[in-house]
Amino acid sequence: MRPVVLLLALGAATLALYSAETHQFTDAQKSFWSLQPVKKPAAPAVKNQQWAKNPIDAFIFAKLQDQGLQPNPRADKLTLLRRVTEDVTGLPPTQEVIQQFLNDNSPDAYEKVVDRLLASPAYGERWGRHWLDVVRYADSNGFKADETRPNIWRYRDYAIKSFNDDKPYDRFVKEQIAGDELYPGDPDALIAMGYNRNWIDETNAAGLITRRQETLDDMTAITGQAFMGLTYGCARCHDHKFDPILQKDYYRLQAFFANTVAGDGPLPLKDPEQRKKYEEQKALWEEKTKDIRAEMATILDPLRIAKAKNGANTFEEPVKTAIFKKPEERTAWEAVMYKTAEARVAFDEEPDARTLRTLKGDAAKRYAELKKQLAEFDSLRPAPLPQGQFMVDVSATAPPTYILRGGNPDLKGEEVQPGFLSILDPTDAKITPPAGINSTGRRSALAAWLTDPKNPLVARVMVNRIWHYHFGHGIVATPGDFGRMGARPTHPELLDYLASYFVENGWSIKKVNRLILLSNTYQQSADFQEVSAQKDPDDKLLWRWPRKRLEAEAIRDSMLQVSGLLNAKMGGPGVFPPVPAGTISELSATAAAGGWKTEKDALQNNRRSVYIFVRRNLRYPMLMEFDSANTFESCDFRKPTVTPAQALDLMNNDLVLDWARAFTGRVLNDSGLSPEAQVDRAFKLAYGRSATQEEQKLAADFLARQIPIMQARIASGKDKPPVPSDLPAGIDAARAAALVDLSQMLLNSNEFLYLN
Amino acid sequence: MPDMLNKLKHHWNVTSRREFFTQAGSGLAAIALAAMLDEDARAASVDPLAPKKPHVAPRAKSVIWCFMEGGPSQVDLFDPKPMLDQLALQPVPASFHPEQLLTAQGAKPSDGLFPSRRQFKQYGQSGLWVSDWLPCIAEHVDDLAVVRSVTSDAVNHVGGVCQMNTGDILAGRPSMGAWVTYGLGSAARNLPTFIVMQDDKEILGGVQNYGSGFLPATYQGSLFRQGDTPILNLKPPAGTTDAQQRSKLDFLRDLNGLYGRDKEEDTELDARTRSYELAYQMQSAAPEAVDLSKESEATKKLYGMDDPETAVYGANCLMARRLVERGVRFVEVYSGSGSGWDAHQNVEKNHTKWCRASDKPVAGLLADLKSRGMLKDTLVVWGGEFGRTPFAQVTAGQSVDQYGRDHNPWGFTMWMAGGGVKGGQTIGSTDDIGLRAIDEPHHVHDIHASVLYLLGLDHLKTTYLRNGRAERPTGTGGHLIEKLWA
Repeated sequence: MRPVVLLLALGAATLALYSAETHQFTDAQKSFWSLQPVKKPAAPAVKNQQWAKNPIDAFIFAKLQDQGLQPNPRADKLTLLRRVTEDVTGLPPTQEVIQQFLNDNSPDAYEKVVDRLLASPAYGERWGRHWLDVVRYADSNGFKADETRPNIWRYRDYAIKSFNDDKPYDRFVKEQIAGDELYPGDPDALIAMGYNRNWIDETNAAGLITRRQETLDDMTAITGQAFMGLTYGCARCHDHKFDPILQKDYYRLQAFFANTVAGDGPLPLKDPEQRKKYEEQKALWEEKTKDIRAEMATILDPLRIAKAKNGANTFEEPVKTAIFKKPEERTAWEAVMYKTAEARVAFDEEPDARTLRTLKGDAAKRYAELKKQLAEFDSLRPAPLPQGQFMVDVSATAPPTYILRGGNPDLKGEEVQPGFLSILDPTDAKITPPAGINSTGRRSALAAWLTDPKNPLVARVMVNRIWHYHFGHGIVATPGDFGRMGARPTHPELLDYLASYFVENGWSIKKVNRLILLSNTYQQSADFQEVSAQKDPDDKLLWRWPRKRLEAEAIRDSMLQVSGLLNAKMGGPGVFPPVPAGTISELSATAAAGGWKTEKDALQNNRRSVYIFVRRNLRYPMLMEFDSANTFESCDFRKPTVTPAQALDLMNNDLVLDWARAFTGRVLNDSGLSPEAQVDRAFKLAYGRSATQEEQKLAADFLARQIPIMQARIASGKDKPPVPSDLPAGIDAARAAALVDLSQMLLNSNEFLYLN
Repeated sequence: MPDMLNKLKHHWNVTSRREFFTQAGSGLAAIALAAMLDEDARAASVDPLAPKKPHVAPRAKSVIWCFMEGGPSQVDLFDPKPMLDQLALQPVPASFHPEQLLTAQGAKPSDGLFPSRRQFKQYGQSGLWVSDWLPCIAEHVDDLAVVRSVTSDAVNHVGGVCQMNTGDILAGRPSMGAWVTYGLGSAARNLPTFIVMQDDKEILGGVQNYGSGFLPATYQGSLFRQGDTPILNLKPPAGTTDAQQRSKLDFLRDLNGLYGRDKEEDTELDARTRSYELAYQMQSAAPEAVDLSKESEATKKLYGMDDPETAVYGANCLMARRLVERGVRFVEVYSGSGSGWDAHQNVEKNHTKWCRASDKPVAGLLADLKSRGMLKDTLVVWGGEFGRTPFAQVTAGQSVDQYGRDHNPWGFTMWMAGGGVKGGQTIGSTDDIGLRAIDEPHHVHDIHASVLYLLGLDHLKTTYLRNGRAERPTGTGGHLIEKLWA
């Protein structure tokens, strides 16, 4: 008997440890900066009233003044135009736009540019991409199988459209956390739930309980990081070592998602009239085909049983039990587990072709007959609804959530109810089940708490992200970590000012963009100042605009635009542009999952990078080389690296050479026969400015070296160098080929890849 | 500022950053501590592959990891168990707690212990035991430290291969090669510093096994492709002559020079210009490194390249030597890539094939490294993601000689040689049937900690700040196997 008693005693002690009702936070924890209410400060009074054009400038200038530093003067017009155009749209300004701006001497010339850019659809393609980084967006499941998620691209389009529509951020958050509960019948709100469908999923995992727990952990972690700037993954196993986040809080937050499952399926039609028509048509078809379908279902019954048995083979006993229960007899937990297992243990109308072939003899014959009969009613069947991938509650009753020792789903501790961070609100969340929907209402409560203007984190975190994208570093340098291990704000009052401004202005992201873009702080030059650099080497106080390299997508898209090849078509399923030779061996492994079928339509290859299919196990090589988001977890900022692999790609990739060829075609089409004019045109297209004398000299020397090489290559007759099609009269191929090399090097150059 | 000190302690990269700034001559040596830490958070490291200082004196410069993918059977190779013969085909005795085992493919401990059909012999001065499946490696036992007590958390291949590479059974963490590259930088700038080679199919789990996880992408491994273009985009577009490319790069350098004239403080711009020179050199260095035509016939023969059965793995091992010779730090050479060694059925047939394919090449590698004086600072690691069960996996209708073995992560064998490792010793042991590690059990984390240590990295100090947590290669575990070098 003794060992048993001992074990029980141990168990009780462990449980007691985990059920401490009230936790005493220290004063330091309670007064931690990011947890304090946002208070809107007045803009400080500064001496240089002229420079301090808007409140942002006053805050920035005050700090510079304290350190005895001077901000830089305004950048020249062209530099500024290129900076703001790439920053807002991810593309360089066109020649027409440049001329227009340079010729516009009105005081609001720049303001007009900013407003035009913010209104351009390209804005959403760039800023939507920022958001996709934060929410670990991908078009595939991850892990070994890495199957395609065929309909998740609608979420990508939703993000782009939300930014373009300047959807109020509070609404944006609500739709992503609880769109299904808060806006029933709205297809966009359901697509928004794709936010939490971006989890990394091992669909063929042997055990289902661990897989489920991983999904819950992913949703819990991403929600903390994306919206609250809190990294509480550690609290999965123990109270956070540095932040006032209890292990209990982690599971209180997780409880909001306890009843969620993948809800992939048809999207509702927006128009009630159409919806009614669809339902009527469907009912009619169902009525007419009732008997046929019933008989087909009976024939398929043995296949269903076989699929359930085979599929459940490796699952844990409690999961198997759940699978073989009648739906109405399943507990809440069993319902969740069944839904998680569903794709592996059940099929919808008809199984896959291989399983269907196991039907033999009379049954197979009869089934084929019935199928034919059913097809005769096809004209009655309404067109299928568009499909989406999203996350919803499986029912109105959630399974219990327990504190898990060491994060292990087998070691259940105390049961917890949905709740927020104890340091902010120790009580259980008040949950109101939504009327008329089969859902718990838990996530609606979370969405309301997150978007409550009194929440100290959400608005601060978002304005800091916006600031980060404009300047290359945030007011808080760790946009996803506002905790003790994160950085402290360099300008806490400015952060609070912006957070207040954001909420007061209806959570409008574009208004914050505009306020920043119109500040003198943003418009100053990137020039280096020795004195300032000594005092503030990292430019934390913003005595200059920090020079930065274009991000991966902007590099590719800008090259396509300069080459005149960019296909501006928006939206739709992910596209598959060519990958370098040799990549295919890696792709073969994912062939079963859809592989990489390079587009046959060349125009599709030239879509903007945000539309390139994101396969978790094979990020598009050119984008990955230039530090695109890794898709396995929230990406707060891209870490710029400089590597030979980047150089190899821009030097040797046939695609880049082809872009340079098209670019040269543009040069030759409208610059006449003068070599200087051609070089000048190339510089204008790439950099937006004329070539200097020095550059003309460099280019002339280069062409003089390159032309004989090209002549020799052409004479040899094999592997002729690429030249633009339809060369204008008077341009010989060797010269055109040399210009292709010149154009390609302009695209490779620092001036092209960096913003000043 | 306790948290800040904590960060410093956990975040050894700080040192290299200071070094970098000093080297860059930007006079920032007096940079404030806080500023440095925040700078770090933004990870603005311009040259991520710059050589970095090790934590301890390195014993090895490079690693060649011979990965026997699928799980080689310890009781048939390095860990003889006479008790298997005594209890042949009897259920695993209760004293070995068979009820606690969860096998991957459902082999049942009650199906009976399966004696090895191999002949074991003692070799060398040290008298280490090796079976007749590996007669060539056996000749090198005096250089091997055989760890018979490795354990893993993984029951399945994907998790196992992933853990042996990244420390975790779930994909997403950086691989050891990536940690090493991050920790030490590159010693061969004209070649990738972490290279992976396959001999058969795709490694189970694919790129995750040599990925960089949450480290910057630049630290990830390069899968070397067959043929003379091992790296993506390595070859200039068809027809491009060297003179043409050289001239282009000179033009680019001059363009960048003009642009950078008033931006001299910006070392990143300069690094970009230099990266083109490295890329240019890589174009000739990488094909040269994989070009085996310059190797003598005797060398090729040493690796078994004259025999179709050993030619593929032999060529990969020889390439590994050439890469290490050129300063590449971490080379993984997969034998049976795509789970070749996974002998659920007919372990006899399966292991005969893969032992044959890898034994001579691995032995050739050891001999070649030794004769060139390279073994002393090249660490060779041999092993799979786990071992195999001492009990049979029985498939209905098959005879005893066709029995297989299931996965065994509870106790299996790996060995190391060279790179400061003391050879001729056995470390740890399994129980009497070779099921579980009992003496000196060593988790995969211990293997990792020790490999890093031999390269000069302290696994506790090799950290990367991510999501407010200083992550390290060994998760929350890892102990040095000091016997390896002591």
